[in-house]
Amino acid sequence: MTADSFLFWLLAAVTLVSGLSVVLVSNPIYSALCLAMSMVGISALFATLGAYFIAGVQMIVYAGAVLVLFVMVLMLFDLKTELATFSRGKISGLIKIATVGTLAGFLAGAFSMSIEFMEKPATKTVVAEAGVDMSRNLGTLLFTKYILGFEALGILLLVIAIGVVGLARSKGGTHAKH
Amino acid sequence: MGSDAFEITVNCIKLVLVFLLMVQAVPILVWLERRGSGFIQNRFGPNRVGPLGLMQLLADAVKFLTKEEFSPKAATKLLFYAAPVFALIPGTLGFAAIPLGSPLKWGDYTFAIQGYDIGVGIVFILGVSSLAAYTILMAGWGSGNKYALMGALRASAQTISYELALGLSIVGIIMMYGTFNLSEMIAAQQGTMHFQAFGNTIATSWLPNWGIFYQPLAAVLFFAATFAESNRLPFDLAEGEAELVAGFHTEYGGFKMLLFFIGEYGHMMVASGLMATFFLGGYNIPYTTTEQVYQFFLGFVESANAASALTSLAHFIMFTVKLGIFLWIFIWVRWTLPRFRYDQLMDLGWKTMLPWALANTILSALVIFAVSHSW
Amino acid sequence: MPLGGVIFITVFVAVFGCLCLYLGRLCGGKKYQDAVKLAPYECGIPGQEKKETRVSVKFYLTAILFILFDIEIIFMYPWATSFKEMMAAGIGAYALIAMMIFIAVFIFGLFWEIKSKALEWD
Repeated sequence: MTADSFLFWLLAAVTLVSGLSVVLVSNPIYSALCLAMSMVGISALFATLGAYFIAGVQMIVYAGAVLVLFVMVLMLFDLKTELATFSRGKISGLIKIATVGTLAGFLAGAFSMSIEFMEKPATKTVVAEAGVDMSRNLGTLLFTKYILGFEALGILLLVIAIGVVGLARSKGGTHAKH
Repeated sequence: MGSDAFEITVNCIKLVLVFLLMVQAVPILVWLERRGSGFIQNRFGPNRVGPLGLMQLLADAVKFLTKEEFSPKAATKLLFYAAPVFALIPGTLGFAAIPLGSPLKWGDYTFAIQGYDIGVGIVFILGVSSLAAYTILMAGWGSGNKYALMGALRASAQTISYELALGLSIVGIIMMYGTFNLSEMIAAQQGTMHFQAFGNTIATSWLPNWGIFYQPLAAVLFFAATFAESNRLPFDLAEGEAELVAGFHTEYGGFKMLLFFIGEYGHMMVASGLMATFFLGGYNIPYTTTEQVYQFFLGFVESANAASALTSLAHFIMFTVKLGIFLWIFIWVRWTLPRFRYDQLMDLGWKTMLPWALANTILSALVIFAVSHSW
Repeated sequence: MPLGGVIFITVFVAVFGCLCLYLGRLCGGKKYQDAVKLAPYECGIPGQEKKETRVSVKFYLTAILFILFDIEIIFMYPWATSFKEMMAAGIGAYALIAMMIFIAVFIFGLFWEIKSKALEWD
């Protein structure tokens, strides 16, 4: 087992265990912190693929901003245990079985497809230490091929900002009761 | 990490040494802070324990060790104990990514004098610095104390607000050097000042080629933002005694408290290291290039290995001097400016520093664009 | 690949921290538990549990606005690294104008937030 594959299996195990803990742990703060751990694991997996800039951005935006928001909001609302909502009935049972079946189908398909890929010898077409070159290419691509998406993203973020402020205002202003 | 066992072992030892360097700098920093504060406030600092009071933190550490191990009843045990351990991680990961000296060529190997050489240096450091918010939140929640939680939420809101100004003030420097890699940025700041403008090369021999002469506003903004990131005065309302006792570390005592302070000083060292790297030329000795220093040492010792080692050592000492300058400024500002009120603090971060950082970015982009064409 | 180094030092620091805590527990003084000592600290007065705590939505607003502006700053980073390259390739003016439009949207959003007093802390 080479160092690369050992690293991959270790990071994959950490990410998966953290992801499972998100749903299996009862304290919601622990769930959020396990989600942060799985985001860190995904960032490390990006780094093993050579996408260093995306790994850094994943850390900055997901693990360092979005999940801090989650944890902050969870701490503001003093939830000691999760609310138990369990729906009963035939329709909801059928929907549950259908969802689990679809998910199992996806997993089985992913396994069978990836076994083909794993049997081929891995060829690294990306230079491993080219962290900065990739982000330069990313920058050039952003402004040549994907310029419309880039500007649209700016406008989308503006819309989100205005929407958030409007939402907070409509729910009773900046002082909301518990 | 390295291609053969020797290189891997040396790199591992180097990582451990960088971490221990950060931890061992804390007693020196605490001594500097207490004596320096005493000097500014016209009193003696600690001067009983050891010569000039240098053993004070050793005595304090032993005292902390022998304190009772205590956790309040309402605390969440796992988070309460995990928070101090987690406090060490962002500072260490950030400090290990900063180049401390010029690379050492020993035989066939080239060892970088840093923990690890990250291609996307500054993005990585910003990413791990943003994990510092989790320390504060875990400590505040894990204490089971309503006021510690409020202090933690306010401190983390302050931290994330100033991360924006931090990230944005560097865009000008990144534009100028065209890279994220810290080693390349340091290499671009060698020698005396020279730059291309309107097709000519303008060079002066009486200024070193440092970033602070190209981006002075970014230097001021970045330095101010790092004060807020490390919760240092004048931004330390989260730890301020008047409002929230001790903020998020109210319920902590003994060695756990010491680990929080090692984390805080670690952030200070990362901040000082980044200031030295971006704006003061990193480990470069002013007015010289790395090659000049290497040739100078090659004139003394005949072996290339020893000359390379001496070059790295000289550059490391230079970096430590620059680091010390900024750490002293951290301590100096602590007793110069009064603490900000919380709304003044948030206003400063969002309404003053962010627009100025944007203005700096726009201006830098326009200037770089304008001078690159020979009109 | 530096990732191995990062993981190594993270594990090392975590183990070091745990060792420090364990050392503190070993060398710690005699344990003396008291109901008052174990209660949450409120400046020395007996605890006053307020039944109704006002939760401010300002934290949520600050965090969401931070995410939005952080994403915009992240978009400036690859532009900043490739700016000189794009100028050399001849598309410098075009890249500059595109980014200026993006920054204009950013500035508009920021000043709208400031003006609508979404970031007021009292």
